[in-house]
Amino acid sequence: MISPDGERSEDRLLTPAARRAFPEDMAARWLRACRKLEQYGYGDAVVTAYTRASPAIAEILGPEISIDLVERISTVTIKAKRKAGELLPWAALKAAERLRNERLFRSWLGVIERFAALAPESVVSVLEKMDRLLAELNVSRFEAWVLAGVRSAGGDAERRLRFFTFADPQAKRWLQRESGEVSFTDLERRLKAYLIALWRLRVPIREPSPSASEHARRRVSFDRGLILMPPAFPGYRGLQAEEVFRASLAHVAAHFMYSREKFALRSLKPLQVAIISLIEDARVEHLAMREFPGLRRLWLPFHIAQSSGASTAPILLARLSRALIDPGFEDASGWVCKGRDRFFERQDEWESPHISREIGGLLGNDLGQMRVQFNPRTYVVEPPYRDDNMGLWDFDDPDSSDHEEAELLFESVRFAQREDDDTSSPDREREKQGEDDEVNRAALSSEAYQDEGIPVARYPEYDYVTGRERADWTTIVEFQPKPGPAGLIERILDDRPDIVNRITSLISSALVGRTERLKRQTEGEYLDIDACIDAVVSRRIGVTPDPHVYATMRRRHRDLSVLVLLDISESSKDKVLGATATVLDLERQATVLLAHAMAGLGDPFAIAAFCSNRRDEVRYYRIKDFDEPYDALARSLLAGLEGGLSTRIGAVIRHAGVDLAGQSSHRRLLLIVTDGEPSDVDVTDTKYLVEDARKAVLTLAAEGIDTFCVGLESGGDSYLSRIFGRRNFVQIDRLERLPERLPMLFLRLTS
Amino acid sequence: MNLDEYRIDQEPYYRAIGNEITLFEAAFADRMPMMLKGPTGSGKTRFIEYMAWKLGKPLLTVSCHEDMTASDLVGRFLLDAEGTVWNDGPLTLATRYGGICYLDEIVEARQDTTVVIHSLTDDRRILPLEKKNEVIKAHRDLQIVISYNPGYQSVLKDLKESTKQRFGAIDFGYPPTDIEGEIVAHESGVDKKAAAQLVNIALRSRNLKGHGLDEGASTRMLIHAGQLIVRGIPLGEACQVALVLPITDDPDMRDALTSAIAACA
Repeated sequence: MISPDGERSEDRLLTPAARRAFPEDMAARWLRACRKLEQYGYGDAVVTAYTRASPAIAEILGPEISIDLVERISTVTIKAKRKAGELLPWAALKAAERLRNERLFRSWLGVIERFAALAPESVVSVLEKMDRLLAELNVSRFEAWVLAGVRSAGGDAERRLRFFTFADPQAKRWLQRESGEVSFTDLERRLKAYLIALWRLRVPIREPSPSASEHARRRVSFDRGLILMPPAFPGYRGLQAEEVFRASLAHVAAHFMYSREKFALRSLKPLQVAIISLIEDARVEHLAMREFPGLRRLWLPFHIAQSSGASTAPILLARLSRALIDPGFEDASGWVCKGRDRFFERQDEWESPHISREIGGLLGNDLGQMRVQFNPRTYVVEPPYRDDNMGLWDFDDPDSSDHEEAELLFESVRFAQREDDDTSSPDREREKQGEDDEVNRAALSSEAYQDEGIPVARYPEYDYVTGRERADWTTIVEFQPKPGPAGLIERILDDRPDIVNRITSLISSALVGRTERLKRQTEGEYLDIDACIDAVVSRRIGVTPDPHVYATMRRRHRDLSVLVLLDISESSKDKVLGATATVLDLERQATVLLAHAMAGLGDPFAIAAFCSNRRDEVRYYRIKDFDEPYDALARSLLAGLEGGLSTRIGAVIRHAGVDLAGQSSHRRLLLIVTDGEPSDVDVTDTKYLVEDARKAVLTLAAEGIDTFCVGLESGGDSYLSRIFGRRNFVQIDRLERLPERLPMLFLRLTS
Repeated sequence: MNLDEYRIDQEPYYRAIGNEITLFEAAFADRMPMMLKGPTGSGKTRFIEYMAWKLGKPLLTVSCHEDMTASDLVGRFLLDAEGTVWNDGPLTLATRYGGICYLDEIVEARQDTTVVIHSLTDDRRILPLEKKNEVIKAHRDLQIVISYNPGYQSVLKDLKESTKQRFGAIDFGYPPTDIEGEIVAHESGVDKKAAAQLVNIALRSRNLKGHGLDEGASTRMLIHAGQLIVRGIPLGEACQVALVLPITDDPDMRDALTSAIAACA
């Protein structure tokens, strides 16, 4: 393009724009730079891009920096190939337009240079998106985002590319974070509390799945028993973002309170569906505002439709929305006015959802006759706080009827996805690290999962007939527990907030390590005045005074380890009378709450489950050991427990005893949850295993390990008191109360 | 000695919710020990003051706490220049001279302390003072009344069965909304409408009990908010001062409450 001999080509380069940008002697320097770039030999495309973009950059930031750009293009091109060199001048122009400041522009160039060295393969995709990126991020945020991508890939170029092409959803998430958008997780707790305060409404709130379409992720969505909340509303920052989340939830809650039956879709057209939904939105909002007039102040600021303008369907719908909530809004459109009049005429019937259907249907017909364009594919409900209305309609979809199951499915899919995610992008330098590590562990364990157990120990069994122990009679086989959906555990905690809160407050009162005043001591820091007076009184009346006249303050502290042993024999599969849950479900719930309490107290604890299949296969499942954290893995193993086989409890008590004996705490407690009498298929004498278990408990007691049993079978008193002693067991007669009783019992046992 | 200084001269304001006044009068006729259960600020103490006034009996109130010993109730020897003197505790005073002995928040006291009332709360009606080697036969006007908040602490702090079963009980919940509004309006002087708003706000906070709050806003708190409103403070701020800030330090709960208050008015 520029030939060494060509005066004419230089003339061609010096377009009027270039002459303007590079006055006088600058023009010569710029031409020299162009020639230099050409001599580097990156190809014509790079040179052309530079010669075209650099005058515009010079216009904005001055000629110097535009000329210096050549060297930067060179370094980037060497590292990241020609395509990058070709894109850089245009990206630089975008950056110049966005930043409009030489210092910022230079630091932006620095970032790009470093980025080209770190992730040459991704430079092109980032440069292509520069305008959009810089629209959301300033330079330092941009750098932070770039580094997040580089680090999260951990040196794997393919993963990096996935990140920077936005194929990895993490990229978007980090972008939102860096751009300072408030994400729902920051506000989740307070907003949930808000719903409870207003309506006592407790609904699980989840993020829409990352695979959902962009369109589906822009608005809040709900269905029976579940709210899907976008992680962020782009464009809303700070307090505004908080308000839009709050407004969304209040609106969805209004649906939960006042939209009862779903509307049948039948043969309605998309436009009619949109209008009926709109009227329904207004109806539930008005009902909610009757109860809580202040909600109008929450919702109204989002209605920004103007009273005139183009008569396209989305605009008319937004105007109607506003007309229905804003008493001061006057609309020019006859259709909007008609909608408003119809709606308010029937104020007394607002309680009934049928009016939405009626008024909406009518307005839909009118709008249809006005031949207004409506494209259901691009239509997004306005204002942004309103939901996508999917929850209002019955799509005759058999899958959606059993929501419980659908949600379970969703949960398990999510768990699997998290495992996958882990292989692609753990961002080790960010705060999510801990969580990622947990998932890492979970992923590892599922690989290592095996169906065969490993025999680990043999224990004697006590024969009451001979009065002796039979050596090496039982074999403990440790099985690797199967991981289950960890979401199940979270849901248990979610579902029982009352108990969780009660436990938490009990924990904190137990944790504070309250000082305790010890009175009437033989020695201490100060005189116990009551005791002194007593002593003086005693002396006066001529009796020997009690020498315990001192008092002292002491801080209570806990020094205790607990092993929780769960019976998962066949009988634990039984349904609890009058409930849908099985005994095992309740055991699991109880253990989750208990583990919550123990983790909160910081007591070292272990969880194991057991069942047996004859004496040579007493199965022992380690859910969590003393030295392991109570993390996602432990929770998923707990969720995956399944019942089966028999209850040979003595051997298990001995095995657990060995574990506990290794703990150096002052008090060691074995807490057994069992639902039936000890039994096994190779034992016919019912007394035999009971006596053996009793012997095992006594052996543990001799080693200073306390055993406590929670019996779940009514009428188990006889054998439970035989095995554990009269004071060392409780009988839970109403099984459904186990989840709340177990943690309380534990706290009482150990306080 | 008489307990005139413990008598209540002026009628305290008490708005009956059910037939608790009749019930208490009947119990008093037989000097049956009574237990008033209910959350804080629900009117237990006001009720017993009202009853003491209505029945014309002295009222001896003891606020129980963890470090309280039996001597704090029964009395103790104190030293003076001459040697030791016995000093009657409030329980002993009420037993000797007749009156209602009201043990407020009894669960706060240790269990070994509360057993001293056992001999007074069954048909023996005596109080042995071991240290003085004396047994007091209860005055015919002695009635033991305890109050008790069956709240969060009840697992670790609970009454012994043997204590519980000596008492009859009256349950004090929060009053129904219209009556609560009436009480708030009377006690604070706000108008009916503002009182109704305050009660509505209180219901929101009570919904959060167990979901981040240990206890919802009590009637007493509403009265405080009402008093601020009467002094010209706007509702929102009055609720911040009297309700949101005292009730929790958790920023999320404060935010939820504040927003709920905004929704109510």
